[in-house]
Amino acid sequence: MAPPPDERSERDRERERRREERRKPVRPGVESIKAAPAPAPAPPPPRHVYRWDLDKTYLKTEFDTLKDLLRSAFEGAEAKQSIPGAAALLRELRHGERTRICFISGSPRQMRKVLTKKLQLDGVEFDEFILKPNLRNMLTGRWAAMREQVGYKLPALLAGRSGLAPDVRETCFGDDAEADCFIYSLYADVIGGLVSRPLLEEILDRAGCYEDDAARAVSLAEALPPAPGAVERIFIHLDRKSPTSRFDRYGARVVPIFNYFQVALVMFEDGRLGAAQVVRVALEMVDRFGYTLDALRNSLSDLLRRSRLRVETARALGAQLMPSGDGVPLLGALPESRELLTQLGARLTQFGDVPVVMPPPPPDLRIDFLAALEVDLPRRRKSR
Amino acid sequence: MGGDYAPDEIVKGVGQLSLEAPHVQTILVGHAERIGQALLKVRHNPERISVHHAPDVVLMHEKPKDALEAKPEASILVAARLVRDHVADALVSAGNTGASVLACSMTWQRIHGVRRAPLAAVYPTEIRRGEKDDPFSLLLDVGATLDVSAEDLCTFAILGSAYAARVSKNPRPKVALLSNGAEAGKGPPEIVEAHRLLTQMSEINFVGNIEGVDIPRGTADVVVCGGYVGNVVLKMLEGVSETVLRLASYAYKEKLVWRAGLMMLGGGLKRLKEITDWEQYGGAPVLGFDRLFIKAHGRSRARAITNACKVAAKVSQGNLVADIEEALRRFEARRAA
Repeated sequence: MAPPPDERSERDRERERRREERRKPVRPGVESIKAAPAPAPAPPPPRHVYRWDLDKTYLKTEFDTLKDLLRSAFEGAEAKQSIPGAAALLRELRHGERTRICFISGSPRQMRKVLTKKLQLDGVEFDEFILKPNLRNMLTGRWAAMREQVGYKLPALLAGRSGLAPDVRETCFGDDAEADCFIYSLYADVIGGLVSRPLLEEILDRAGCYEDDAARAVSLAEALPPAPGAVERIFIHLDRKSPTSRFDRYGARVVPIFNYFQVALVMFEDGRLGAAQVVRVALEMVDRFGYTLDALRNSLSDLLRRSRLRVETARALGAQLMPSGDGVPLLGALPESRELLTQLGARLTQFGDVPVVMPPPPPDLRIDFLAALEVDLPRRRKSR
Repeated sequence: MGGDYAPDEIVKGVGQLSLEAPHVQTILVGHAERIGQALLKVRHNPERISVHHAPDVVLMHEKPKDALEAKPEASILVAARLVRDHVADALVSAGNTGASVLACSMTWQRIHGVRRAPLAAVYPTEIRRGEKDDPFSLLLDVGATLDVSAEDLCTFAILGSAYAARVSKNPRPKVALLSNGAEAGKGPPEIVEAHRLLTQMSEINFVGNIEGVDIPRGTADVVVCGGYVGNVVLKMLEGVSETVLRLASYAYKEKLVWRAGLMMLGGGLKRLKEITDWEQYGGAPVLGFDRLFIKAHGRSRARAITNACKVAAKVSQGNLVADIEEALRRFEARRAA
């Protein structure tokens, strides 16, 4: 419906006034009315960086068909759905001391507004949000770059790393739909100084990266001081429920997970999250997404079977969930959830010895990226 | 964790179930380490799967009684205990049939009025039935009993009718006795007597006697017989199906014209194969216990296991045991009167 005439004319006048102001030259010594306010003091440098993919890692996104792709591109922020527990986990990570949260997504830059709004709706704060220049790729005829991820994400990750001290640690979050595990692992080894220039060039060539993207990645990699072990963990959300054994080749740093309760548990064991924070992630999954006690317990057992969590950690968490423990006062005023989590705590404390199914991969496993490329990026291995 | 292809195919089937049926929680009972190893290699949702360790397994060739006595922690016994203790609602196994039935009878209670628990099987038929147009009939008993009385046959009819009503959403399944003629006086004495008793039972839709030829036609939804006869019939029907497929394969290789003919019939034959594919029905129940047991074929692969678990989940949703108890109470009351 068109606005009433008075309102329209008022709007036109306002627009004209702004136009006039833009035309006026800014005299030297006179502060422009557009000038930014005095800059806030720079935040202290981060100690830990969390890098998140968006689609299928944070958001439930379907883009397997053109219809899905179009729906995903045009739906509003309110219609977008996050993966259970992801928002709660991000909020908890944000509370950590001197942490930085960066999103890097293959979605086009034109979606920035709607994606930012979605994150705001979920109460998720972030420091950096990198989106793919798909319009530019299209206009310059770089069609392959629209789907290719290595040539886009690796330079973006390396650029994000530049300026950080070598002792800054990182945790990366991706999914099994694209090549996130490959890219994050390559990034981790590149900044760790474990990938030589010729090897990196060969990997980028075989991955089908454009020459300028590859050259940028190589120069960024060479400019970084080696930071061995900087990437502590790479969590891969198994959106497609891929067999976990698929990721064995990437070593112990990569943890395939089926939900964010599992992430919270591993981070609890790593000392990155406290029991109360694990509880808040679980609470969101129970209250907002209908997770049951069985689902939570089974998720935990799955980690134990895969040797991704120690039974002592489960028991320690259980003890803190019990009424006498520290976690319960933080459960809030949700009696059913409180009861459920207390039951979970009771069961965790009674956990017997779970037979270790698979010894965890050795932490110093050297990844054969060229072999991994053949498996995880079969369509793009041909050099462009 | 029994069956010819355990544990890999069982785990794969349950993995698939966890992706297809969000409302079903499955407990895999067996050697936890082997199950865990198998789970690493298959697509699954671990939120819907738990693993319960049982160190032993009854092998397919073992004598049931001896094996269960020697292996008190055999997976079938442990699983039966979990169902007895209401940790699970139903038991599904592709393992040694004798051991499975014996484990159930050692662990569970028989429903009051049931002297013997029959083993059922489903068989594809020409006629479809129920709300979901199920293309199979229920045949029981197919091997749990050798000699049966008229009362046993009536009990089987009640059990089969209650089960078919639930699984096929068919409120009045047609129940028939398998005999050597349609007339009431045909057959051995227990069949004649069972016919007389069943005719008086209004709660069952008894349609009289049928002959073997009527089984694949689907004249009845529930076919009742003794275990000895049922087992022979079932094996023969399976043998005929396999022979027909082998003959088709022979014809395909023999002459170009026959091959062309078969290719033209390809769509129809594929449809026929789908209907007669026992894997799509998954398994059949052992009825008469106060808990539910679905027996899958020993040769079951992942698809059959997925479907057997779906059948178990479907039947568990209602109170089958209560329905059977009520029907048996009425039968007993009539007999007493």
